[in-house]
Amino acid sequence: MTEDTIPHFEIGDALAMRCGNTLTASFVPGGSKIALSAYRPVKWSTPDAPSESAGEEPVLIYMAQETTLYTEPLLRSLLAETNAAFTTLQVLSQGPKGDAKKSIDYLKISRTYRSIIRCFLEKVEHAKKSPEVQENEATKERHTEAIYTFYAIECLWNLFEVLYIQQQHNQLIVGELLEWTRFHFPDTEDSATDLLLMAEEASECDNYWDTLKTLVMLGQLDVTRAILSQHRKFNQTVFQTADQVLKSMPVYQDGYAMQKFCSQWEYWHVDLERKLAAHVFATEPQLELLMQLISGSNKHWDAELVKSQDWYEFLPGYLLFTRPACKPFELRIAATNWINRWSGLRPNWKMTQLSRMIMQLMEHDIKLFIYEAQKLGDSHWFATHLIDLIYHSGQLNSYFEQQHIDLPSLRFSMIFEYGSYLMTSHKLWQLGIDYLDCCKQEGSAAIELLLTRIPLKSERQAFKIIAMAKERGLVNVEQSICKVLSKRAYADQRYGNALEWAMRSKDVLLVTAIADFILKHYSNTGVMLCPDVITSIGARMFVSPRLVFLTKYFEFYEFYRERDFLSGAELLVNLLASKITPDYFWPSLLIDALPLLESGDPKIFAKETIAILQHLELELVPIIERNKLNTAKFNNQSSKTVFSDYRVENVEEILDLMRLACARNLSRATIIENTAPEA
Amino acid sequence: MSMTVSANYVSEKISQIRWLPEKLTQSERFVTGTWDMDTNFVRVWRFHENTYADSVEHTPRCNDKVAMEADVTGIEFVNDDTFVVGCGDGRVSLFKVHRAVEEDQIRRTEHSERIHAFKYSPANAPCTAISIYGTDIATVGEDGRLNVLSANDLKQVKRTIEADSMSLLAVSFVNQNQVVTSNRMGVIRLFDVRSAGDGQPQYSFMAASQDEKSSNFVSSIVTHPMQQHVLICGTEEGSLTVWDLRQLEYPASYLSTHKSAITAIGFHRQDPSKLFTAAEEGAVWMWSDKKLIDASQTDSSSAWLAGDRLTSLINVDGILTNIRKAVNSFDVHGSRMICGTDSETVYLIYDV
Repeated sequence: MTEDTIPHFEIGDALAMRCGNTLTASFVPGGSKIALSAYRPVKWSTPDAPSESAGEEPVLIYMAQETTLYTEPLLRSLLAETNAAFTTLQVLSQGPKGDAKKSIDYLKISRTYRSIIRCFLEKVEHAKKSPEVQENEATKERHTEAIYTFYAIECLWNLFEVLYIQQQHNQLIVGELLEWTRFHFPDTEDSATDLLLMAEEASECDNYWDTLKTLVMLGQLDVTRAILSQHRKFNQTVFQTADQVLKSMPVYQDGYAMQKFCSQWEYWHVDLERKLAAHVFATEPQLELLMQLISGSNKHWDAELVKSQDWYEFLPGYLLFTRPACKPFELRIAATNWINRWSGLRPNWKMTQLSRMIMQLMEHDIKLFIYEAQKLGDSHWFATHLIDLIYHSGQLNSYFEQQHIDLPSLRFSMIFEYGSYLMTSHKLWQLGIDYLDCCKQEGSAAIELLLTRIPLKSERQAFKIIAMAKERGLVNVEQSICKVLSKRAYADQRYGNALEWAMRSKDVLLVTAIADFILKHYSNTGVMLCPDVITSIGARMFVSPRLVFLTKYFEFYEFYRERDFLSGAELLVNLLASKITPDYFWPSLLIDALPLLESGDPKIFAKETIAILQHLELELVPIIERNKLNTAKFNNQSSKTVFSDYRVENVEEILDLMRLACARNLSRATIIENTAPEA
Repeated sequence: MSMTVSANYVSEKISQIRWLPEKLTQSERFVTGTWDMDTNFVRVWRFHENTYADSVEHTPRCNDKVAMEADVTGIEFVNDDTFVVGCGDGRVSLFKVHRAVEEDQIRRTEHSERIHAFKYSPANAPCTAISIYGTDIATVGEDGRLNVLSANDLKQVKRTIEADSMSLLAVSFVNQNQVVTSNRMGVIRLFDVRSAGDGQPQYSFMAASQDEKSSNFVSSIVTHPMQQHVLICGTEEGSLTVWDLRQLEYPASYLSTHKSAITAIGFHRQDPSKLFTAAEEGAVWMWSDKKLIDASQTDSSSAWLAGDRLTSLINVDGILTNIRKAVNSFDVHGSRMICGTDSETVYLIYDV
């Protein structure tokens, strides 16, 4: 996290530098890329002519892409885990409204998010130490940045949780704030542990009193007492008195009357000040200083504050000793005062984004806080999830109303952006889709657009995408993916595969086109493509009439091959009568009838023979006539006719053969049928 | 039945997961393969006792990894320390595991030629599934080809059959000589893979489907470990179809089960009375034979062939439900199950 400067980078394009040093840019659709190129500004006075460099020098196009932390594979686990928490929250909020238990559940969700970050931080810290990362500067830097960003996020989230999500009936926050600083400034605790381990020798240690002072300022009195009790002079009255003071400090406990607690605390405080005024601790100047801090003496606090790392480090501790019953709304004033005081002491101090955001939280300036949160380098991970949680918990609704912020649409746009980002980058589409699912129509429109953009590497992946589309009722996506794969297979000459994908797409035109191809290929070469697929089409053939024809014709072809002529003949006659025969296939179909008609023992009955003859005259002859007309019209392109196969030259001959065959079969069949014994 | 489940986020979409075989002890190690990542890896992991939290007993730690050229589509063990990996670039590889006290290692020892390729296109034809019988490896790919190799020499392909003119999705050995394959239309074919055979399917039959007008692919096939004539397949619509290979006119049983495509089916490695199915919707179910009290009823025929009575003979338990992202692969060893998912998690389930 840096100060909020606009990130800039140099391109140094020679052409651009000569022509007024201007660039033009446009977003590349479907990603977070920007294309930049040199640009000559055009004004009303510019002559309408090509520039001097036109055609001379190439215009270079630069692709700029936002760098994100998520290029590091380790961050995927964070995204995947938060995705699970996010969906849990969505399900939770769909439950019955006004459930008292819910606010506890929201707190749980908030804690889940935080534990995910902490767990992730631990993982990154661990990974950073591995030799693999240490050797690579770029990855190392990314790791450091990830730690930095997510540490800040956890710190902010924790504070946010204390102040705005946790609902305590007594509204006491000092204890929680102390916990918060304790976690985020662990150095003192570490040195305190060292001191505790050293036992009696500790009091000779150089940093003994410094550590104690910091402990007191962090409000960790139990540890302070433990360390003090190890002091060599602990048996002396001074130390005993100090210990007594620390022990007797009133701590608020649940169910205690607030009024009673305040008066008790006031009594304790006055008592301590009286003791200090009476110089009870004067024999031990360091101990006295400690006691001064505990009494909240401003002079002494100021002296110690100079050493602190950041402005908020000792604020909760100070509150503990001055206003232990501080309520969230009082914190605002306390924080403002504190920060004024602190910056007065440290005039050269520059506020970082983290400390500024903490200030905004304490000062109840959520609007600015959210604005700043969106500037963190985490691709809006934090802002999205936090706003979503705020929206569901509904605790800040009145605040947002006052500030005229439309929280639902803010949440909506954040989730939409974040979801689209995940859908388009780093193969996170399976996670992104869950976010877009929360975005009603816009979300489903985005899903529809983005799902088809996922590059298809294997069929298994395609099936997963299709299943996602099906689940959401996006028929178009399913169709277009199937069509893409069908065309891809077709280009690779895998016709069986292409046909099956086409059938899955349920696109009539595509299925017809592929069926046509197979039929034409058959009528040209006599080779049936992908017979294994055609046999098992079954009920799926009803997608397209052409496919029905193909499968039925294939059935006939199989009968014929297996020499089951009677069933074949029946099927053929049905096919002829079916009216789904494509024009180009008529000659093939009729020629197929020829051997059956000419066979010695008739396979086709008289009635059917007449039907064939009828088809011949009514279907094929008109086509031939039309054909002739077309070839006559366009003499030069004679090949572009309906019959492009070898039979076209002698189609007239075929016609005659057919007529003769029909006549012969008719005579044979009539004789046999009429001489058959009467039943 | 009480089962403890622990989830571990591993930052990779897991396509395949297998326990390392252990003869006498509970296996602590497993291998995973990934898909749809910038770089796909085969990794070996080990479960470590978790000393920090009481609720989570074991956490996996990656011991070693090998980068792959494309998606990992199949992992099967040939013996205790050798496994075969099928890959999206149409090749298979042989890996050796070296078990160590500290860090286990894996090494790629052999890499086959491109045994799956499209005839008229330079693009890779992914190998989609593999199956192991002894040292024989059967692979199928999107090019519709069935290959049989020997784990002793991957360079030499023992048998290649142009089994289908569309993509094959699953393969399984029935016995040493017979292999079943299934395609995207739901057609299952039985091949004799002995070199003398003519490469034509001995049988072909279609998986049952609720909607006859749409395709219903068979995504996984398994044969019963004890009764090898019992063939079970899982389909796109989420149903199980069972065949008796001795009698193929019609399926022996049909069960509509999951709401989405079945991704994997497998019997428990030691206890064949338990069958597991995983599905795209993010669920793993366990099917176990009911222990019949009446001894006379324990005839030799399998409960799986019982047709309509099947549901009364077999118990169904949800092991993982509602995890929302596809469970791609699982493996059971002893009482522990591991699952690899698209939500980039490895689930460890105790007391299965």
